[in-house]
Amino acid sequence: MGESLDLISDLPQSILENILTRLSLRDAIRTSVLSTKWRYKWSTLTDLTFDEKCVAPSTERAVVETNLVRFITGVLLLHQGPIHKFHLSTSFLQCRPDIDQWLLFLSRNDIKELVLELGEGEFRVPSCLFNCLKLTRLELCHCEFDPPKSFNGFASLKSLNLHQILVSPEAIESLISGCPVLEFLSLSYFDSLVLSISAPNLMYLYLDGEFKDIFLVNTPKLVAISVSMYMHEDVADFEQSSDYNLVKFLGGVPLLEKLVGYIYFTKYLSIGDDPGRLPITYIHLKTIELYQVSFEDANEVLVLLRLVTHSPNLKELKVSASPIQLFPLEEESFDLFERDYFDYKLPRLETVRMTDVSGIRNELEFIRFLMGTSPVLETVIVTSSLSDKEARMDMVVELLRFPRVSPRAQLLFLQD
Amino acid sequence: MSESDLDMMKPETMQSYIWLQTSDGSLQQVEQEVAMFCPMICQEVIHKGLGSSESHPISLPQRVNTAMFSLVLDYCRFHQVPGRSNKERKSYDEKFMRMDTKRLCELTSAADSLQLKTLVDITSRALARIIEGKTPEEIRDIFHLPDDLTEEEKLEPLKNTMDDPRIRLLNRLYAKKRKELKERERLKNVEMGEHVDERSVDDLLTFINGRDPKMSKGKKKSKKKKDQKIDSSNDKEGPEDFHDKESHDLHSKQQGVEETGSREREVPEDDIFMPKVAGSEDGDIDDEIDPAMKEMLDREVEDFARRLNSNWVCSLGQERRPVHFSINSNRTTRQHIGNDISFFGCIIFASIVMLRWTDVGYGLDVKVNLQDTIDELQWLTQFWLVI
Repeated sequence: MGESLDLISDLPQSILENILTRLSLRDAIRTSVLSTKWRYKWSTLTDLTFDEKCVAPSTERAVVETNLVRFITGVLLLHQGPIHKFHLSTSFLQCRPDIDQWLLFLSRNDIKELVLELGEGEFRVPSCLFNCLKLTRLELCHCEFDPPKSFNGFASLKSLNLHQILVSPEAIESLISGCPVLEFLSLSYFDSLVLSISAPNLMYLYLDGEFKDIFLVNTPKLVAISVSMYMHEDVADFEQSSDYNLVKFLGGVPLLEKLVGYIYFTKYLSIGDDPGRLPITYIHLKTIELYQVSFEDANEVLVLLRLVTHSPNLKELKVSASPIQLFPLEEESFDLFERDYFDYKLPRLETVRMTDVSGIRNELEFIRFLMGTSPVLETVIVTSSLSDKEARMDMVVELLRFPRVSPRAQLLFLQD
Repeated sequence: MSESDLDMMKPETMQSYIWLQTSDGSLQQVEQEVAMFCPMICQEVIHKGLGSSESHPISLPQRVNTAMFSLVLDYCRFHQVPGRSNKERKSYDEKFMRMDTKRLCELTSAADSLQLKTLVDITSRALARIIEGKTPEEIRDIFHLPDDLTEEEKLEPLKNTMDDPRIRLLNRLYAKKRKELKERERLKNVEMGEHVDERSVDDLLTFINGRDPKMSKGKKKSKKKKDQKIDSSNDKEGPEDFHDKESHDLHSKQQGVEETGSREREVPEDDIFMPKVAGSEDGDIDDEIDPAMKEMLDREVEDFARRLNSNWVCSLGQERRPVHFSINSNRTTRQHIGNDISFFGCIIFASIVMLRWTDVGYGLDVKVNLQDTIDELQWLTQFWLVI
């Protein structure tokens, strides 16, 4: 019998931490019972991720909550050294004073990434959070956010994600402008906000909520935009000004590569007086996804057309026609496509996906336009929301008639 | 081997080799591109110029033995070729990681010392996958870890995380609070003067009670201290109140000292009584008296007390000696005051002085008052004599 030598305990601490970070926090802490050498090897981990899997499951919610609180407090007390990442993501914890204490502890330990996803409840973020000046990433969910007057922003913050946060609009704007190196911004579940974003380094913007108006004041480096715009029944909520919203919103983003719009985004863009041409060409724009476009509204179709025609490198286009018949309009004339765009070419368009097509004139004309102007088109996928078999058949027949410029173009008709 | 043969046949395509020596002494010749994939070897070549010939090989770190090195080389040889796709690389890595745990650990160690981060990452990942989800016994088994924790110790981390942390946190907070409260009280006491009083009076008491013949010296010392302090308090601009209080405290201590000194053979209970009374009373009237006046007062009372005490001390055999009330040159002492009388006289004098001082407001002629008190005292001592 040979001597069984310890294989692993004498590896350098950096390797052991590398291994321990790849385990779940619970498993990493369990290594403390392996042997004397392993007792505190976990305690210098800088990234801590907590969720309800850290504690034993139970049918009683209160039990899980108490155990989880004990677990986190225990880990923080036994921990040594700086903590760079703290992720807490559980719906079991709502509003507890323990969270305040943890945040105070973290603010004294060089916290850099803080993710706090709590359950529903009005947890008020304590003021010690605003002393964490080394923060590079902040993600809050279901909290109340109230920065003190002396707060000047996080100088190192690169990623900000606020979901369903109770905060005043001025606080949001000053927070955004107080973070000069901000690259990723995500605001969701906001109501009635007139938002003005000034972030010179911003690259990714994600907005989701009932915004009244959005001004991209200074965002030259934006690469990807995704906006879900909800609104009340009353269309007067959108400020009717003479500025064309499309220009106002997308006029200052020359580096844009991906644009995604949901719900009433296209409607929002279509408001205002159309100046005829867009001021910039989106050279880098490769993907456009616009959902819930109401093809009955000529203005919205116009927005769509403008974007498509001002993006010479567009590769992928996804459009869904709106099933929401809020404004039953008269079908406008379909010579929309005949003027101006007749000789237009979309040189790089490869994939087109149209969903919820209901056979309206404008929809079909749009598909015809695409197929007639895209020399490298490969796939056109059309899905229909029509239930009537006859109507669907008619639509398919119509589509098949359209001339195709690209020899490889396939028209795929899928059923919902 | 085939590579080197080919190279020999085509002298134009000279492949450069690097000489390396593993930790167990074996010399190896490795193609340059493959070896340079390791940052550590790269550094050795560039910064130290080693490895170009057999006589100057690069010595590999201790954790890199021949077997491990050949594994590392296999890895490098595959990955240094630029044309491979990510999928290819991934599947190679997967296959590469299939080895027993011992070799995996050694390989991790070797890769780390060669600073080959990608290899370290995949080996760490493999090790993590081994550890994941297993019970401690299983893990100890796999890695041959000694089971050297006591049963109690094994429970400890769990105990901490389950039972005590909140209590511990609370205790910490309580301890902090207690400290704060203590600090605050201490500051308050310093202001009031009691605290400072007690300490120094105790010191002085031990001084006095311990050494009879040195009593006067001790007193003189304390008097000197007092003078110095008074001087310093007058010199400093700063928190006048505090210093004034201090000087008064000292004065009252002084009195206490004198009193206790004079009634050395008395019951010690009175010791305790007097200084405190003096102290607390003094504390009340501290703010009211002008420092210059105070100084004068102090000196005069000192003189009086000194005379009282020194005379009495010198009379070891309890001789009766005349006590001179020489503060007022006109008056002369008439009575022979015994030990007891002088003691009581001191007490009474002190209390009268205190009472007088409570009457003293700003700008009153203190000297006159002092005269009065001395008169009263003489009258009182006469009274005692009668009794």
